[in-house]
Amino acid sequence: MLPSLLAAALLATTGVPAESLAAGPQATVQADWILERIARPAPSRTGFVELRGSKLLKEPLRIVGEYRHPDADTLVREVRAPYTETTTIRAGEAVIERAGKSPRRVSLSRVPELAGIQSSFGAMLAGDAGRLRQHYTLDADGSRQDWRMTLVPRDARLAERVRNIVLHGRGAELRCIETVPVDASEVQRTLLAGAARDAAAIDDVAALAALCDGAAAR
Amino acid sequence: MSARKRLLLALAWLAVLLLGAWALSGRLQLSGDLRKFMPEPRTPAQQLLIEELGEGPGSRLLLLGISGADPGTLARQSQALREALADAPQLRLFANGSGGGFDAIPERLRPYRYLLTDSARLDDPGYLRAQLEARVQDLGSPAAALVEPLLASDPTLATLALAEAWQPATTPQHLYGVWFDRAGANALLLAQTRAAGFDPDGQQAAMDAIDAAFARVRGDTTTRLAVTGPGAFSVDVAERTRREASWIGSVDTIALVLLLWLAYRSWKIPLLGVLPLASAGLAGLGAVAIGFPGGVHGITVAFGFTLIGVVQDYPIHLFSHQRAGLDPRASARGLWPTLATGLVATCIAYLTFFAAGVDGLRQLAVFTIAGLATAALATRFLLPSLLDPAPRDAAGSASLARLWTRIERLPRPRKAFAVLAAVALAVVVLAPGPFWQNDLSRLTPVAEDALRTDARLRDELGAPDVRYVVVSPGAGAEQALQGVERLRPVLDVLVERGAIAGYDSAVRYLPSMAVQRARQAQLPDTQALRAALDEALADSPFRADAFDPFVADVAAAKAAAPLQVGDLAGTPLAAAVDGLLLQREGHATALVSLHGIGDAQEVARTVHANGATLLDLKQASESLVADYRSRVLFALGLAALLLAATVWIALRDRRRALRVLVPMALSTLLVLAVLRGCGVELNLFHLVALVLGAGLGLDYALFFEHAGDDRDEQLRTLHEVIVCSLTTLLVFSLLALSSIPVLRAIGSTVALAVVANFVFALFIARAPMRRSA
Repeated sequence: MLPSLLAAALLATTGVPAESLAAGPQATVQADWILERIARPAPSRTGFVELRGSKLLKEPLRIVGEYRHPDADTLVREVRAPYTETTTIRAGEAVIERAGKSPRRVSLSRVPELAGIQSSFGAMLAGDAGRLRQHYTLDADGSRQDWRMTLVPRDARLAERVRNIVLHGRGAELRCIETVPVDASEVQRTLLAGAARDAAAIDDVAALAALCDGAAAR
Repeated sequence: MSARKRLLLALAWLAVLLLGAWALSGRLQLSGDLRKFMPEPRTPAQQLLIEELGEGPGSRLLLLGISGADPGTLARQSQALREALADAPQLRLFANGSGGGFDAIPERLRPYRYLLTDSARLDDPGYLRAQLEARVQDLGSPAAALVEPLLASDPTLATLALAEAWQPATTPQHLYGVWFDRAGANALLLAQTRAAGFDPDGQQAAMDAIDAAFARVRGDTTTRLAVTGPGAFSVDVAERTRREASWIGSVDTIALVLLLWLAYRSWKIPLLGVLPLASAGLAGLGAVAIGFPGGVHGITVAFGFTLIGVVQDYPIHLFSHQRAGLDPRASARGLWPTLATGLVATCIAYLTFFAAGVDGLRQLAVFTIAGLATAALATRFLLPSLLDPAPRDAAGSASLARLWTRIERLPRPRKAFAVLAAVALAVVVLAPGPFWQNDLSRLTPVAEDALRTDARLRDELGAPDVRYVVVSPGAGAEQALQGVERLRPVLDVLVERGAIAGYDSAVRYLPSMAVQRARQAQLPDTQALRAALDEALADSPFRADAFDPFVADVAAAKAAAPLQVGDLAGTPLAAAVDGLLLQREGHATALVSLHGIGDAQEVARTVHANGATLLDLKQASESLVADYRSRVLFALGLAALLLAATVWIALRDRRRALRVLVPMALSTLLVLAVLRGCGVELNLFHLVALVLGAGLGLDYALFFEHAGDDRDEQLRTLHEVIVCSLTTLLVFSLLALSSIPVLRAIGSTVALAVVANFVFALFIARAPMRRSA
């Protein structure tokens, strides 16, 4: 869940602006540089492919859909396959709507994984590294055209559940978000933008995981 | 005895009183329980009101709203307040809409979800398959983290269904996970106090806990907390009454000291004047503390101190008659028959309160009789030794003499008095408007804006009505719960028709054992469940063994003994059920709280036809008040007769007795007429004040009558009665200015009575003296 929200918050769009690579492919990347590039003001949208693993499932669930960010306070997650479902996140609450059912409301504060994003949501979209650092310690490595940024939660409640969140990207394109739980059992992955398009043709779960890391695309 | 020694003795007396007060304060158990002041209930509604007064779900409820910041901040403070108060001993429940309610179900009771909710279709593979498909979606949704831990044992999410069923019938909107009003300006919270609604101390403790927690949560933000509800109101009114009574008391004390100093030109007189009164109060309290170890009612103390106000006059009689050459002891001896007549007559009158059959009134009688007797005896035997033997003689005052000469020239308008009495009687009988005020709440009115806030919060939160409640009686909890279960379809129809907006009952949390057993019988056994589950799991993304804990839970539910009230002890559910299911020795009563009542009569008819009763708590309390008052009136009627007889016997002369009694009776009638004429609806406090007024009048008349034909004695009597009536008038006029109706009722009535009694005593009681002089 967290990766999907982060994805929406960041709303990576397609295309790699030429100027973002101007500093040269080998230059070491800085967190501030990344945040500046991946900030996206509303309105914006991006497709996603999410892999959701669980001990109860035979294999991870593959969910395809689109994130929309219609205005600064609202985030919509629309699932198109393998079922349809629309989640609207606004005012600290997620409203989940499914065909033929009354909407279900979930308070973000009841789920530590969501509470963290609630506070950093605005900061992400605004590219406000200072605010984001209040909630996570940031660490970036790689080059500008193939970077990796690791977020370690500062909030104790969130840190009980989540070890870290790893963002993968190229230039201004955020391509994948990995959430590593504390017990490292089931890493949840959300592929975004170009990576989501690449994923459309791949069925194999291991190949999708590799796509997230960026290896398969290279 | 030297002046110095006398002063030392007076100070020693004061010290003894202070010591006594200190010793008593530890022993005195003040009770605010209104029930002690009520008569025995007669109707079933009264019975329930008295038994459950303040115990009903509505009266324990506090409604809270936090405002004054953006919704995010308000929500954070709402959460922080809930965390701070979750374990507060003063509160049984504190809710702000957060928390799904799984936390409400302790682990050991979780299998019971299949008995507490309708779960008839667990053996249907089609149903199970649909449920599993929905769970796959849940795992891919933002609710995944919330749902995943439950799934293995609860794939149909019965836990969630239960938690939703336990939410209030109409919940306010959620913002940032907590309740908000429709405008999003107030974070809403609900608290249920442990103390009963009419336990002012318990309510005060709950309010203090909430205020303290909010002060911490609020920090340096500018948010505000509004708390309404019966408990909050009673605390507010008590606080306002205390505040007003306190400033009035302070002003009274200063004015009284000044007045006494002015009347006697001695700074020692105020000290001596207060000693009998203080002794009376202490003796009264001590007597009730010993006689009623169960606790002294707060109202007893309030009424009692009003009634013993008359003893303030006792030392004044002594002071005004003191002059050079007269031994104070001899003076006291001379005054004693008159003082004693008034005392004995009044005490005999108060004895009738014993017959009223109400604990609170018995306490009042003990308090007053002990107080009056102590003050009188202190004035007779202790005070004379402390008196300055040669003060200024009141009879030596030229202005007083001129006043008396003028008074003596006044006519004796007997006919005019007869006409006045007739007119007053006519006004009393014929004045429009209700005679009595039965609505207890009108005595302690809540500020308009607080009522508006309450109505708004009540509407937003869908909080239960405080006036109406449906009761389903039974021999035990099971029967009472079954009664409510039979009632539910009927109530649902009432909701549909708009007669009520919603209702709440204990069966929402705890169905009767009969219903639980029926559900149990419908649960599939392990084999059938396993078969259905395997079929549903056949080509699902879930592992085949994913739901083994579910199978175990259903088996546990099928074998479990039905859940009963006692099993809930220590869980948050116990609070919800206890408030709606009242268990007593030999019987139980299930309450159905209502909210948004559109048509009370239709509700009453409908539930009555289904074996339950709509209880109108307001009507029940009003009938109780009326019942109570009729007992007090009976006691007072008897008291009046006894008082007249006592005076008659003491004075041994019909004409003298009449001269003493007529001013008092006339004054009482006139005061009643003035109150009625002004459209005042009378209440118990007016009655008590009238009794005090009559007691004062009796003393004035007795002393005027006693003055005889010695001119100096007449002047001294005039002086004492003027001082007496002025001090009393001063004290009670200030009280009449109060904004609290209770204080105003006592103040205005007594002030009027003092003036009327003084005038009539002057005209009637002294009349024959003029002729003989």
